[in-house]
Amino acid sequence: MRGSLTQLQVVHALLIRETKTRFGANQLGYLWAFIEPALWIGMFIGFYGAFGRITPPGMSLVAYLTTGIVPFSLFRDTAQRCMSAIEANKGLLFYPQVRPLDLVVARGILEAATYLGVMTLFMGGLALYEGPPRIDSMLETLGGLALASGFGVSCGLLCCGLSVYSPTVERLFPSVLRLVFWFSAVFHPVESLPTSMRDVLLLNPVTHAIELVRDGWFPGYDARHADALYVLAWILVLSFFGLSLERMARRRLELS
Amino acid sequence: MIELSEISKVYPTRSGSNLVLDRISFAFPPRTNIGILGKNGAGKSTLLRIIAGTEQADSGTIVRRGVVSWPIGFSGGFSGSLSGEENCRFVARIYGADIDEVVGFTMEFAELGEYFYMPVKTYSSGMRARLAFGLSMAIEFDAYLVDEVTAVGDANFQHKCRKAFQERSDRSSVIIVSHQLSTVRDYCQRCAVLKHGKLSVFDSVDEASSFYEAA
Repeated sequence: MRGSLTQLQVVHALLIRETKTRFGANQLGYLWAFIEPALWIGMFIGFYGAFGRITPPGMSLVAYLTTGIVPFSLFRDTAQRCMSAIEANKGLLFYPQVRPLDLVVARGILEAATYLGVMTLFMGGLALYEGPPRIDSMLETLGGLALASGFGVSCGLLCCGLSVYSPTVERLFPSVLRLVFWFSAVFHPVESLPTSMRDVLLLNPVTHAIELVRDGWFPGYDARHADALYVLAWILVLSFFGLSLERMARRRLELS
Repeated sequence: MIELSEISKVYPTRSGSNLVLDRISFAFPPRTNIGILGKNGAGKSTLLRIIAGTEQADSGTIVRRGVVSWPIGFSGGFSGSLSGEENCRFVARIYGADIDEVVGFTMEFAELGEYFYMPVKTYSSGMRARLAFGLSMAIEFDAYLVDEVTAVGDANFQHKCRKAFQERSDRSSVIIVSHQLSTVRDYCQRCAVLKHGKLSVFDSVDEASSFYEAA
């Protein structure tokens, strides 16, 4: 009991510290967390509009893209930030109560909070412009985001452990993430894809998370292929190996 | 009270494994300052990190009663991009101490002036050590683990360090590792020597010194 209280204290302290180191000392730095995905989404809206693609009926372009890019970015950034969590904060392992897992968890929480803010900002802005949206199930949308975040943390944890043994992992991972983007059904509803392609995309847990976010947000969305348990199984398996590696890595870490 | 039993640590090297600590057993008596002497590479810092819990031993057990500090030294523990003050706030938080008290005490003790509010990466190693030392003094530990650090600063600062430990001597103990006999003589009642992976304990610093100086 005392142990978990200490761990809470540590994660809380790390959160405050991460916020400062990541976004800089001034308050404006935090804005960057919003500007980056805003530019992304803006770029895709322009791209999408230029090529005359149409969104599924009853869904506005901005809302449709936001519900795809936000969960994907949440997954990608969480995975990337968590992967480098130990390397960036090695000095903190000097304090015996700070464990490698705490560093990863703190970064995961910070990313989740940031993207929740981004999503609220975008959807809020859109609501001002288009009128209040008819949300089908807020819980399902939040659940989809939670799965994207959890999958990101477990991927990051595993790669973090692996990178202690082989630095190549750290260099390869961003490329893999870029590839995953094209297999995540960010642009098309899974339902509308040809079966062969759909089967491939559904292997990717991020696809399921995005489908769930959209299913919760849009009343007319059909996400019959989305399976939360499938994502959960991935998270559990990756976390199991990631945590085992973390235990072994702790002994190998050279403190400097 | 800290009790080590059968603590061993091996580091892999290119030419095979290097046994740094060889089944070390020792019960550190409470409220007694102990100096551990060792030449460079003898495994002093490793032993201190294991006592702190920063590093794990390969075998053996360790029992800690009371709050034990982190290894207070020149390296580790601070993030360069944050200011001295921000680093203090972080450490106060993870030890559940009062943030304002810790910051106030450290600022006064470390004598860093304006540098206290500047990123730690702009500090000299002496300044970092002073920050580390002041910060550790701001938190109440039952045992302070000190790695070489007392030799920093001018005579005035060193005097202040000694006084701080004296004021705490009725409730806290200090474990200092050093390669300098004078440091141990200044601070400690008892003394141990770490040599070839074994720890030999002596009742007085003088007894220890002849053993330490002999090759």
